[in-house]
Amino acid sequence: MTNAIIADQLTYAYNQVLAVDHISFQVAEGEILSFLGPNGAGKTTTVKMLTGQLHPQEGEATLMGLDIVRDTERVQAQIGVCFEITNLYEQMSAEENLNLFARLFGAKDFDAEAALKRIGLDGRGKDRVETYSKGMKQRLMVARSLINKPSILFLDEPTEGLDPVSSETIRNVILEERERGATVFLTTHDMVEADKLSDRVAFIDQGVIAALDTPHNLKQQYGKRAIRAQVSSPDGSLVSKEIILDQPETAESMRDLFTGEQVVTIHSEEATLEDIFIQITGRGLAG
Amino acid sequence: MNWTSIRALIEKDVMLFFRNRFFALITIGALIMYIVIYFIMPSEVDETLRIGFFVDELPAEFTQELEAEGLEVYYADSVSDLKDAVLNAEVTAGFAFPPDFMNSLAGQSAPQVEVFFPSDLPQEAKDLYILLLKELSFTLVGQPLNIEFSEEVLGDDLVGQQIPLRDRMLPLIAVFVLMFETLGLANLISGEIEARTLQALLITPLRVRELFTGKSITGVGMAFLQALILIVITGGLSNQPVIILLALFLGALLATGIAFLLASSGSDLLGILAWGILAILILILPALGIIFPGTISNWAKLIPSYYLIDTVNRAINYGISNQQAVTNLVILLLIDVVFLWLGITALRRKIT
Repeated sequence: MTNAIIADQLTYAYNQVLAVDHISFQVAEGEILSFLGPNGAGKTTTVKMLTGQLHPQEGEATLMGLDIVRDTERVQAQIGVCFEITNLYEQMSAEENLNLFARLFGAKDFDAEAALKRIGLDGRGKDRVETYSKGMKQRLMVARSLINKPSILFLDEPTEGLDPVSSETIRNVILEERERGATVFLTTHDMVEADKLSDRVAFIDQGVIAALDTPHNLKQQYGKRAIRAQVSSPDGSLVSKEIILDQPETAESMRDLFTGEQVVTIHSEEATLEDIFIQITGRGLAG
Repeated sequence: MNWTSIRALIEKDVMLFFRNRFFALITIGALIMYIVIYFIMPSEVDETLRIGFFVDELPAEFTQELEAEGLEVYYADSVSDLKDAVLNAEVTAGFAFPPDFMNSLAGQSAPQVEVFFPSDLPQEAKDLYILLLKELSFTLVGQPLNIEFSEEVLGDDLVGQQIPLRDRMLPLIAVFVLMFETLGLANLISGEIEARTLQALLITPLRVRELFTGKSITGVGMAFLQALILIVITGGLSNQPVIILLALFLGALLATGIAFLLASSGSDLLGILAWGILAILILILPALGIIFPGTISNWAKLIPSYYLIDTVNRAINYGISNQQAVTNLVILLLIDVVFLWLGITALRRKIT
């Protein structure tokens, strides 16, 4: 499988404050890679460098074999970008917004109505964007990023602060795009979303990639699976017990639990990506 | 250059301009207002000077002399009637002669003549009226001043064909229309920077040079069109239309360059308005010299709009020689290039 994105030692500093510090990674064609990290970790700066909005101060990146600095125009014709901040023409309708960008991309066969239907905005196409809710605007942003049927789709925090319906619509579109063959580069600090959607996740913290692997491998490597049970003690009170799985003594502990204790409730526990992020970086994703 | 993209940008900008109620209203409303004001103002200059007399008896020679000087005499019934005529601006000065004025004059005594002036009459004019009366008095007593004057008007003698105030104001209004457009265009660009829509545009195959081409065409087109509508409706194209059209086009270029500078300096509507109004006030200064001759001296030539205003004014009102017009237009073109370069450079730094 060939790589759609190759980033090599990408570096960018704002006024000598290092935002992205010599990061390297590859994204295969058709893969969904999520960049997970707290605010200010360097996610958006990475997206800006990969999409030609910022020139890396060190390092280089190629997208579909094209250098992002030397071939910016050719790269930008083949990518779709959904920005972190809503930047639609509020005084234009959704259809006018989409048709404007279709003309700029030279997408002559673009069907605004169908695009709006795909993101659940059918029937609202002629309304001005200023009348839309945040979720509707974000869905429209996603629709705009798909106008040129991009080979690589960059989505910067696409579901942040959205209602469950809008979030689900966007997640479905991301999966459909992957089915179409597009590579998806997703930045988020929603670990559940990243876990659900991603083939691989990268933890970025203070401009550095702290870990990069599949969610499953990260959990295997850094997380622990456990059984948590509540058992009834002789005085009638409930006591919580935890058995770590995948350990040599796990089988014996399980046997002791079910033979020697009166189990009231039992459930399995698996480490979340956030647990692993905290374990690796020493801080949470919210910050 | 991708002209399909540029055209899409222009259509979008025009659409957004007119969807901004404030600027749409101001643009259309102001244009209508300028035209209405032009047509409300008198189309002719009344060159007659009227003075008022309250007098029992004056020799016919006296009034004949006055009429020969281009003055029209109003005879009041009383002193209070004379004062009313002065206060109501029916006459520019009122003279109340004593009952025995002629006898006193003949008897070498000093008759007391009361003179009434309106409050806004300049001192020079007051002195002139007194001097005129004294000269006539000398004539009446048979001692005319023994001086011969030969008169020569330098330039076109405009007696009987004075340029009405509305035509002298026309270059000012045209420049005002052009320069006001800077606010609209600057606000449009600044709004795009603030809303980060430019960021979205520049992630498409659209290039920065195409973006500036589109914005320039929008700015020049809208400013030029408005000035053209004004000049055509007010009949300003009847003299030297090619020179006037060229001057307005170059003026629209200047307005666009200034709009780019404003957009790069102001971060929101208030910032744009603050800088924009300051710029407009400076740019219309040369026009004041046309409306109030003598108030502006050579330093006005340092103001970029001087060559636009001077060309338009002279072409509309006096006729300008081709040589002078070419000199003015070349200087204006150079100023345009400087302002466009400055504006594009500043704005480019801001958006990229």
